[in-house]
Amino acid sequence: MAEITLPKNSKIKKGKRYSLLNELHTYADFFKDSQNIYPIAEFYVYRWDPENDNNPRHDIYPINLDECGPMILDALIKIKNEIDSTLTFRRSCREGICGSCAMNIDGVNTLACTKPIAEIKNGVVKINPLPHQPVIKDLVPDLSNFYQQHKNIKPWLRTKTNSPEKEWNQTKEDREKIDGLYECIMCACCSTACPSYWWNSDKYLGPAALLQSYRWIVDSRDEEKKERLDDLDDAFKVHSCRSIMNCSKACPKGLSPAKAIAEIKKELATRK
Amino acid sequence: MTNVKDKNIERPLSPHLQIYHPSFSMIMSIFHRITGVVLYLGIFFLLLWYFSIFFGAETFNLVSAILSTQLSKITLFFFVWIFFHHMYGGIRHFVWDFGLCFDIRSVDILAFLTLVLSLSSAILTFIYL
Repeated sequence: MAEITLPKNSKIKKGKRYSLLNELHTYADFFKDSQNIYPIAEFYVYRWDPENDNNPRHDIYPINLDECGPMILDALIKIKNEIDSTLTFRRSCREGICGSCAMNIDGVNTLACTKPIAEIKNGVVKINPLPHQPVIKDLVPDLSNFYQQHKNIKPWLRTKTNSPEKEWNQTKEDREKIDGLYECIMCACCSTACPSYWWNSDKYLGPAALLQSYRWIVDSRDEEKKERLDDLDDAFKVHSCRSIMNCSKACPKGLSPAKAIAEIKKELATRK
Repeated sequence: MTNVKDKNIERPLSPHLQIYHPSFSMIMSIFHRITGVVLYLGIFFLLLWYFSIFFGAETFNLVSAILSTQLSKITLFFFVWIFFHHMYGGIRHFVWDFGLCFDIRSVDILAFLTLVLSLSSAILTFIYL
C-alpha cells in the first residue's frame, strides 16, 4: 500500500546554517561595502549521520559562486573541502558517465556533475538523496535492491548456438535498434523518480532494470528472447508502470525508459 | 565505525513525494486514477435514478427533483467533465500502448490536450443538452 508520508525517524528537521565566515567576518561586513557584491547561492543539503539517533536535517551552506565551479557537484566538493568535511556523497567521473553522483536536485533526479548551478532559481537549491531509498549517510542511498533487480533481468548476452570463431555479427540496422538503450549508465535517477517504484519496489522492476531488459530483448544476437519475456510476464514486474513519465523526464542521458517499457508491454501482448 | 550492512541501524527513508517536483504528466496520471474511482462510485447515483422507477412514480419524482437542484447540476457537470477526462486519458494511454508519442514534448502536449478537450467537451455537453 502506498505510504504517502515519511516514517517518524525520516522526517526532516531544520539544520545548521553555515556562514561565509572564511571570507567575511559577518554579514554586516558584507553589506557595508557594496563593492563586495558577488553572487551567492544557498545550498540546502540533506544530512543524516548513522552515528547518532537524530532525524535527518537540511543544513544550509552559502556559496560564493564567483569562487566555485559551474556544476552542482563543484559546489558540493567546495562545501566538503572548505566548510564541512563530514558531508558525504558519491562522485567519480565528473562528466556524466559513471552515474555515481545521482541525486535529487531541486525536486528532480539528475546527476550533480552535469547540472549547472546557473539553472537554479532564486539563489536557493535543495539537494536530497535519491527518493524513497534507505539512507546510508547524507546523500548516499542504499541501492542494493536496485542492483539486485538489474541482476535479475540477466543483463548479458544469452545464446544457445555455439560461439562463432570471432565475434557475434550484427547488421547495421540491428545495431541501430539498441540506440537509445545501450547508453544507460544505471545511475538510478529514473527508477527512484517513479511513484510506482516507490510504492512497489519489491514487485515492480522499475524503469532502469526494464530498459536494460529491453536492450537485450531487441538485441538480434540474443537467443533467449522468449525466456526473457517469460521472466517478465506477471502482474507487477512490467505492468506496474502507469506511464507517469517521471523516468523519461529525469533521465540525465536523455533516454526514454517509458518507451522501452511500452515496447516490452507490446511484446508481451502480441507474442503467441 | 558503523557497518553499511548492519541491519540493527534504523535507516531513514529518503524523502519522496515531499520533495519531488510535481510535473504536469505526474499530476495528470494521478488525476486519471482519481477520475476512474469517481466514475465507478458515481455510476451508483445514476443507477439510483433508474432503480427509483421500480418504486413507483412518487419515488421517481422525488429522486428526479433531487437530481435537478442547482447543487446536483453542478455535481453532474463535474461528473460529465470527469467522464470526458477519463475517456480522453484512456485514448492517451491507448496511443502510448502502440509505443507512440513518448518524447517529452509529445507527452506534455497530449496531457494538455486531454485537459482542454475534456473541459470543452463537458461545457459543450451542458450547452447543447
